[in-house]
Amino acid sequence: MTAEPASFRVNGRSVALDDVPGAERLLDTLRWRAGLKGTKEGCRTGDCGACTVLVDGRPTLSCLTLSHEAEGSAIVTVEGIEDDPVGRHVVAAFRDTAAVQCGYCTPGFVVALTGLFKERGAATPVPTLLDDLGGNLCRCTGYAAIARAVAAARERLR
Amino acid sequence: MSGLVRPDLTEKLRGGVVYGTDLEAPGMLWGALVLAPPGVGRIHSVDLSEARARPGVVAIGAADVPRLVGGGPGDAERPPFPTETILYASQPVAAVAAPTLAEARAAARLVRLRAEASTAVTDLERVFPEWPGSGAGNSPSVAAHVRARHGDVDAALARASTVVRETYRTAGIHQVALEPHACLADGGPGAWRVRTSTQSPFGVREDVASILGIPESTLTVEGTWVGGGFGGKGASLLEPYALLLAAASGKPVRLALTYREEFLLGRSTLPAVIRFETGVAQGRIVARRVRLLLDVGASLPGRDFATGYSIGFLLGPYDTPAFEVEGYAVRTHKPPFGPHRAPFAPQCAFAVESHLDEVARVAGLDPVTFRADHLWTTGASTPLGQTVGAFGLPAALDAARRKAREWRATMPPGRGIGIGLGFWSTGTGAGGEVRLALGPRELVVVQGEREIGSGSVLVGVAEVAAHRSGLPRGRVRVEYRSTARAPFDSGVFGSRTTAVLGRAVEEAVGGLLSELARRCGVAGTARLVEEGDELAVEVDGRRRPVRELLTAAERDGEGVVAEGKFYGAGGAIDERRVEVGAFYGYSDFTGAAHVAQVDVDRATGAVRVERYAAFHDAGTVVDRPTATAQVEGGVVMGLGTALTEEAIWTDDGRLANPGLLDYRIPTLAEVPPIEVEFLEGFLGSGPRGAKGLGEPPIVPVPATIAAAVRDACGAHLTELPLSPERVARALKLV
Repeated sequence: MTAEPASFRVNGRSVALDDVPGAERLLDTLRWRAGLKGTKEGCRTGDCGACTVLVDGRPTLSCLTLSHEAEGSAIVTVEGIEDDPVGRHVVAAFRDTAAVQCGYCTPGFVVALTGLFKERGAATPVPTLLDDLGGNLCRCTGYAAIARAVAAARERLR
Repeated sequence: MSGLVRPDLTEKLRGGVVYGTDLEAPGMLWGALVLAPPGVGRIHSVDLSEARARPGVVAIGAADVPRLVGGGPGDAERPPFPTETILYASQPVAAVAAPTLAEARAAARLVRLRAEASTAVTDLERVFPEWPGSGAGNSPSVAAHVRARHGDVDAALARASTVVRETYRTAGIHQVALEPHACLADGGPGAWRVRTSTQSPFGVREDVASILGIPESTLTVEGTWVGGGFGGKGASLLEPYALLLAAASGKPVRLALTYREEFLLGRSTLPAVIRFETGVAQGRIVARRVRLLLDVGASLPGRDFATGYSIGFLLGPYDTPAFEVEGYAVRTHKPPFGPHRAPFAPQCAFAVESHLDEVARVAGLDPVTFRADHLWTTGASTPLGQTVGAFGLPAALDAARRKAREWRATMPPGRGIGIGLGFWSTGTGAGGEVRLALGPRELVVVQGEREIGSGSVLVGVAEVAAHRSGLPRGRVRVEYRSTARAPFDSGVFGSRTTAVLGRAVEEAVGGLLSELARRCGVAGTARLVEEGDELAVEVDGRRRPVRELLTAAERDGEGVVAEGKFYGAGGAIDERRVEVGAFYGYSDFTGAAHVAQVDVDRATGAVRVERYAAFHDAGTVVDRPTATAQVEGGVVMGLGTALTEEAIWTDDGRLANPGLLDYRIPTLAEVPPIEVEFLEGFLGSGPRGAKGLGEPPIVPVPATIAAAVRDACGAHLTELPLSPERVARALKLV
């Protein structure tokens, strides 16, 4: 398998790697090469959403994205989400509503919700947001506190 | 609520806490397990030579175990790798480690297993197509056999005006913690260390030491943050393999399951068949006969706890003058049965509630009133002869009936409302110990449980310490330490942390306050208060700064130290009623009544839950937001058990749906609004009368949904989950 250089911006900083195999997933590059382990590894099959990052502003499953697909992109992970004005409000809303238990799904939810607000705007109705977060699984909260966090984040952004 | 409520919020929201899957160490190797395929039995050979020929690869099998850890013989009944016969598909037969994960996985594929073909039996009804006959207790297919009785069941059934016989079936389910199992082992002989994502560091230490035959004193287990447990991370799973690979390679070894492997070899609740025979005369239950076949997979004979414990939940929570209960733990070619949040109790409640609903209807009685008329109350005697402690379930049922009436008045046409009850015993389990260290500015609770997400450690334990000492919670810090540095604790399971460890905390704080009073020269009771930036002791209306009361050594060290311990115990049953095997008494009687409103799609059989209410007796509520969050989470997990979650094994021994696409858990798009209410005043054995709450919320859910489905469309379902296909069949749509 050939390894080639890859470069992108992650949380505003350039990351240049010289030997990324063609089949390597963005999730693994971020976690094991860039040392950004806030992005969580769950299923690796695109079903749980724990690995969601923003690629050029769009919520993206990093487990199903080849690192080379993200060449030249601007990537935002949970570690950088509070540098984003929308992300800062989303994090504050999750904190205010204590919408965290084990925390393993939390980075994916925070990043995905930030991306949804950026794509669709803060006026997006709550039920639409909840539907769109259906690809992010949580086993602890029953989603009740997360739904409260979504509503609280929307209020903050409006 | 604020960040103070959950001290872990800020770091978790930054992605800053280290879970098992995040572990790495300089120079480490990546491990991988070699799993047996389905349909094989006796082992001829496990050939590691091709794998070992790869550069940098370490490979180990059963033959390598004795020389690797240098201890005595390990537990002969549960060797890390099978030596003669493979017990289930996906049982690990070898393990490899390599400098990268890709190399490890490639090497794992080079391990050659030669074994005899064997017919896998994964359907327990194939093991016993008929009820097991006398002598079945000695069958190699039976891991445990239990029987209890009281009164003359046959005579009572003969006298009954109505006798209802039914059979229920429940599915195997998975915990589905989002974080797969992961650990990292390093060290060397005499000083091994395993860092791991676990609910029980001390339990893992005991387990690994026993499996490998090494003294516990030579192994330190350090818990990482845990990305969900739900019972699946209570015992060791990967740790012995990681340690063996570390021993073989002389390097740190990281070992994690893929999510597919998580399904294939995780331990959880397995399928069951439950049979009832219930007699009624003059509106009262006169006798019940209950039979259980519980699939326990490859559980070891004589070590099954589940059957004798779980079967009790098929007898309650209802008065029954005469009963006979018999259960078999049936071995199949599946991974061993393991605990899953209130193990098997939701399935029991589903069967009991649905059956008594049917009994009432056949007898011409109102189903909810019928259950209410038989419900245990405080001071009643259980069928096994234990006295029921303070029990809020009757009050919870009253509240649930009021809620159901309110909803029915505003319910759109075609919908249905159901009420389900569940009970569970909390506050049992082995004990826990804590050490307190009081410094000038904070009270530190040193203990050995990792917060697994519920808040029971970081909120529950902290709140108990704060309340007892007089301090605001922000002045209490709960500190986790490894098995080498923390006092013993049995772990986060069995709804026990706040209730059991909390008692140890109360004792320790009491001792600390006495010591502080003594240092103030007073025999009375002290309490702690904030004074400026620091803490002070208040006793007899006078205050002394804590700093003044510390010796020089204490100021430089941990502060004033105090210890507490609490070992809970189950209540006694009437052993004369036990004929075979072991049955268990309960500690705190904890109960909940739930209400659901559902809509059933008359074309597809799909059930949509529109609203849900949960009424809980949790004794004294220690922290309301955290308690509410436990109930919300438990209810939704239960909706999965009720509606979608089902592990499917094929006849050739394969798990057919080892992934989240085909094993569906609830998502944000389909959960209903949930109302939560606590019925207080029924005091348990925990701090200030608290009862455990981790498990009870899941117990009544499948029963509640089944009752609502029946109310909506008349379908009486006797199998879990209530999938669209089963509902459609019950409605004769297919």
